[in-house]
Amino acid sequence: MSHGGGESGRVHEKSQHAKRKSGSSGDEFAQAIAKIAVAQICESTGFQTFQQSALEILSDFTIHYISNLGKLAQSFANLAGRAEVNALDIIQGLEELGSSQGFAGASDVDHCIASSGTIRELVQYVSEAEDIPFAYSIPPFPVVRERKPVPSFLQIGEAPPGEHIPAWLAAFPDPQTYLQLSTENEGAADSNTRKIELAQLHKKIDRSLLNLQNFASNGSGGPSSVAAIRGSEAKLAVEGNPFLVAPLQFGEKEVSHVVPPAKLSNEAAVRNPINQNSLLGNHMSVLDTFAPAIEARKSRLCDSEEGQKRVLLNQRPAVQFKIGIGKKSVGTAQELSLQNKGVEKIGPWHGKDGEKDDKKKRAEKILKQSIENPGELAQL
Amino acid sequence: MNHTNNTQQSNDARHDDDAALTEFLSSLMDYTPTIPDELVEHYLAKSGFQCPDVRLIRLVAVATQKFVAEVAGDALLQCRARQSAVVKDKREKQQKDKRPILTMEDLSKALRDYGVNVKHQEYFADSPSTGMDPASRDE
Repeated sequence: MSHGGGESGRVHEKSQHAKRKSGSSGDEFAQAIAKIAVAQICESTGFQTFQQSALEILSDFTIHYISNLGKLAQSFANLAGRAEVNALDIIQGLEELGSSQGFAGASDVDHCIASSGTIRELVQYVSEAEDIPFAYSIPPFPVVRERKPVPSFLQIGEAPPGEHIPAWLAAFPDPQTYLQLSTENEGAADSNTRKIELAQLHKKIDRSLLNLQNFASNGSGGPSSVAAIRGSEAKLAVEGNPFLVAPLQFGEKEVSHVVPPAKLSNEAAVRNPINQNSLLGNHMSVLDTFAPAIEARKSRLCDSEEGQKRVLLNQRPAVQFKIGIGKKSVGTAQELSLQNKGVEKIGPWHGKDGEKDDKKKRAEKILKQSIENPGELAQL
Repeated sequence: MNHTNNTQQSNDARHDDDAALTEFLSSLMDYTPTIPDELVEHYLAKSGFQCPDVRLIRLVAVATQKFVAEVAGDALLQCRARQSAVVKDKREKQQKDKRPILTMEDLSKALRDYGVNVKHQEYFADSPSTGMDPASRDE
């Protein structure tokens, strides 16, 4: 686990680095320069090496000092009714910042600012200290980009559309930029929208599958969701996806009839070893599997359980059942746990998870539950 | 009479002070502060300081440099004090005196006098399970 912990630590660092970089992106350059300058000053004082964190703190401190001095000087200038800062304002700021440390003549109330102790100390420092220029030559920063303003109607020479718009205002953008494009366009930008559409479609299908499952077991709120699903599927006919083909109406296709066995429970009949090839060959739409059930519900057969069983048995024998609780089965997991007793016999199919389509697996699971549910009800 | 003398004297004094200040400012143009002008200008502009005069920028730069040098000097004193305290016990003077390192410890002590409280982590762990009993870690 230490390995995993180490990796997660690194990942965390990277994300932190990314955050730091993206957060204060404008100031990184100035902070780096401040670090170099502070390091040079410390070197002249006598230090030869620095701890990284100590250097960062000191440079941050320096930046704060400069900012504070600027703020103080500006406020003193504003106090005196000026917009531009004076040398005397700076000296007053220095006095205020240095008051915690103390300087010669700090207690004099009436002293002239020009002869302040801070200045004298500065003069002393300048005369004593060595002249160490900054190590690198820096371009003036931050770089100000020239912003091109949007040309006005007058500049373009157009007449503004409408009397209420004066001509000196900025012109409207090209209508192509904001009008909707037709969906037949297969440009590069459209592939993204198509992907988003597909993702939304998958979500809709998931929801519809859940609805149908609940519908098959409870029999409530069916028709509205079914209508919605049919409508949406008919609308979005994307090629290549069999689940999105328009659903077949009842009676359109010839379906083989299966004679129900004498016993009412369907479990034995349904679990016969079935052709895997037939399933893979038949790209059944989800609605196709449930269409008879839905029709049965709509026609309101008196013996609901039997009618359901018969209708469901009318399906093609391309039904296979999976035990595994797939990632996408949101509501089915709970019901699966209830039917554990019947699940062990279907062991061998578990290994084929990787080969099949997710949608088919889920359709089968739901179908199995809907079949076994009436079976349970019958046993009750 | 005295009053006018006083005012005259004070006037002269003021002139002297102004003269001294102007002289100092002009001398700043010869002295290149370690902190570059562009950096100082950037941060002063951020805080609202507006001045086209380069001498004032130099003044701020020199003042900052002096301040930082003071802090660094204090930290160096702390470092030396710590080294001398150790030397009394172990007599390994030569090992440590060669390279004075700016450490967080010395810096935090030095900055405390300036009213800045700097507290730092004692150590950082690589992962949540660092230092734990190997038996309790799941591999």
